[in-house]
Amino acid sequence: MKEAILRVRNLKTYFFTRRGIIKAVDGIDFDLLKSECLCLVGESGCGKTVTALSILGLIDSPPGRVVGGEIYYHDVDLLGCPRDQLRHIRGKEIAMVFQDAQSALNPVFTIGNQIVEQVKLHLEVNDREAKGRAISLLEEVGIPSPEKAFSYYPHQLSGGMKQRAMIAMSLSCAPQLLIADEPTTAVDVTIKAQILDIFHRLKDNRQMSILFITHEFGVVSEIGDRIAVMYAGRLAEIATTSELLNNPKHPYTTGLIKCLPDITRERDRLESIPGTVPSLIDPPGGCLFHPRCDKAIAICRKEQPPPLVVGDGHTVFCHLYS
Amino acid sequence: MTNRLKSVNNIARKVGGIRNLLFIILAVGLSLTLLLDIFVVEKIFGPLTYLYIALGIIAVLYGIQPLYASRRLVRYYWDRAKKNRLAVGGLGFIAFLILLAIVGPFFTADPTAVNFEEKNLPPLGFTIEESVYEPETGQFITKTITGARQHPLGTDNKGRDLLAMLISGARISLQVGLFATGIAIALGTLIGVTSAYLGGKVDNALMRFTDIMMTFPFFLLLVLIVFIFGPNLAFIVLVIGLTGWTGTARLVRSEALSLRTREFIMASKALGASSGRIILAHLIPNVISLIIVIATLSIPGVILAEAALSFIGLGDPTVASWGMILRAGQQSLDTTWWVAVAPGVMLFLTVLAFNFLGDGLRDAFDPRSSV
Repeated sequence: MKEAILRVRNLKTYFFTRRGIIKAVDGIDFDLLKSECLCLVGESGCGKTVTALSILGLIDSPPGRVVGGEIYYHDVDLLGCPRDQLRHIRGKEIAMVFQDAQSALNPVFTIGNQIVEQVKLHLEVNDREAKGRAISLLEEVGIPSPEKAFSYYPHQLSGGMKQRAMIAMSLSCAPQLLIADEPTTAVDVTIKAQILDIFHRLKDNRQMSILFITHEFGVVSEIGDRIAVMYAGRLAEIATTSELLNNPKHPYTTGLIKCLPDITRERDRLESIPGTVPSLIDPPGGCLFHPRCDKAIAICRKEQPPPLVVGDGHTVFCHLYS
Repeated sequence: MTNRLKSVNNIARKVGGIRNLLFIILAVGLSLTLLLDIFVVEKIFGPLTYLYIALGIIAVLYGIQPLYASRRLVRYYWDRAKKNRLAVGGLGFIAFLILLAIVGPFFTADPTAVNFEEKNLPPLGFTIEESVYEPETGQFITKTITGARQHPLGTDNKGRDLLAMLISGARISLQVGLFATGIAIALGTLIGVTSAYLGGKVDNALMRFTDIMMTFPFFLLLVLIVFIFGPNLAFIVLVIGLTGWTGTARLVRSEALSLRTREFIMASKALGASSGRIILAHLIPNVISLIIVIATLSIPGVILAEAALSFIGLGDPTVASWGMILRAGQQSLDTTWWVAVAPGVMLFLTVLAFNFLGDGLRDAFDPRSSV
C-alpha cells in the first residue's frame, strides 16, 4: 500500500447564513495516496469545491467555517497550523487549478509575469532562473512557442491556452499535490482531451497526487484511479474506477451512471434522477438521498447509513447492503 | 561580486522586487534627512522640497518606469485618447502650464519687485483714465494711462508685474494640486483597497472613519492649523491631502469589492500569496486606471480649494498663488479689473483643462466604450 499524502477525516464545513446553517460538507473521510488520482464526483452544489477549498483553508469566513474534522498533509495538520505555514504550503506543496482560467488569471499582467511571481514567491531564484523555469513550464503544458506566450496577456490567449497557462502556474513550484477544480468544464472536447493528457503525464512523470473534481464520468474514467461520489455534503460511495463503473452499489451512483448518454442504447430520452439535491439548511433525516431513491426502505428515513465495505477498497454508504 | 549581487537579489525578493527595495532605501534616506533637518541642522530643504522629492521618487519608480516598460499599452491608450480633441487640448494646456511653471520664472521679472512708479498699469493695448492729485495746483486732473511693453499684462497697485506673478502663481497652484492630490489619492487607494479586501469589521471601521472624515469640516481644521502653525503652504497642502482622500477611498473600495470576488484573487491566495501581496500586486494594479482618472479630476478641485483659502485670507501670504492675486485684485475691481481677471481666467482654463483631460482618460480606459 502506498503512503497517503493527504488524509481527510470527518471534515465538516458549515456556512452560517441568515437563513440557517448550511452543512455544505458534513463529515467526509478519504485518503489520497502518493501519485494517485482521486476523483470527487457529484452534482452541482454537493460540496466538491467546498471540500477542496477547506483543504487549502480558503473558506471565506464569515460566513463559512470548518467546524470539525481533521485534514493532514503528510504530518502537517492543515486545520491547526499557523497561517504563515499554511501560506507556504499553498502553492509550494499543494497547488490548485481553477475551473475558469479566464477569471483565475490576473488580467493586467502577462502570463510569464504571473508565473515568475509565483516562482519567486516560494523559491529562492533570481529573475533569469525564474524566467527560464516559467518558459520550460509553459513548454511542458504544451503551449506552442513558449517564449512568445511568456509576454502575452491572458486576453491574448484562447481558452485552452489559458487553462494550460493556469496549470503551468500551479506547477511552478513542483507541488506534490494538485487540486483540480473542474479544469475541463470550461473548455471544448478536443482541448479537454489534451488537458487530461497533461494531467496523465504529470501523474506519471512527476509522481504527483491529484484530487480531481468533476461531474463528468467520461473524464473520470479517463483519469481517475479511484472515485469518491459525493451527495449533499456526504460521501455516497468510494471505490477504484473500474470497480465503481462496473459494479456500482449506491442507488445514487447507479443513477448517475444511467444518466450518461450511451451510443449503443436506442432510446430517445435521456435518463435522469428525479428530484433535486435537498436543501442543506433543512436536510431530510436519515440517508440524505432517500427522498429521491427508488429503493428506499424504512430505515433510510431514520438513520444515517454507516460505511459498509462491500469489496476490495469499495465502501458504500447505503442501508441496502447491511 | 556575484555573491553580493545574489544577496541584494534576495533582499529585493523579500520586499517584492528591486523597485520596492529602491523605494524603501530612498524613503528611509529622505526620512533620515528630514529628521536631521528637524532636530540637528536648520533647513537643509524647505518643507515643500521634501514633498517634491518624495513625489518625484514615487512618480519615477511607479509612474514613469512602468509606463516605459509597457510602451505598447501606452501607445494603445494614446491612440484611443487622442480621438478626443478636448482631452488632447487639455493635455496640451497642462503641459504648457507645467513648462511655464518650471522654466517661466527664469525669464520673467521678479514677481515680488515693488515699483510704485509703475503701479496700476493696464495690460498692453488697454488704456484707463485715472484722476491724479496735482500737489502744485491742488487740483485733480484726469490722466490717460496706457499699457507698457515691459508689463504685457499690466501691474498691480504696488507696481508688481502681473505676468511674472501669474507664472509664479502657476508654480504654486500646480504644486498644491499635485502634492495634495498625490497624498489624497495614495491614502484613499490604500484605505479603499484594504477595506474592500479585508472586509468585515475592518471594512466597517475604515468606512465609518471615512464617513466621519467626510463630514468633518476641513475648513475648520485649516483655520485651526493656520492659527497654530501660521499660514504655511506645506501645511495647507498636507491638510487638503489628509482630508481629501474620502471620495477616492469610497470609489476605489467599490471597484475593489467586485475585484475581490474574482477568481484570480482566490487563485493567488491558493498559490500562497499573502494579503499584503494580493492588495499591492493584484488589487491596486487593477484599479490603477480608475485612480488615474480620479487623480486627474480631483487636481482642479484642490487648486480651487487653495485659491478659495487664499481668497478668504487663510492662504500663505508669502507666496503669490492665483488665489492670493485674485484676493488682491477683487479689492480694487472697479479701477484695476485686470488684476483679478487674469488669475481668474487662468484658474478657469486650468480647471477646464484638467476636467477635459480627466473625461478623455476615463473614456480611453473604459473598455465598454471601445470602438
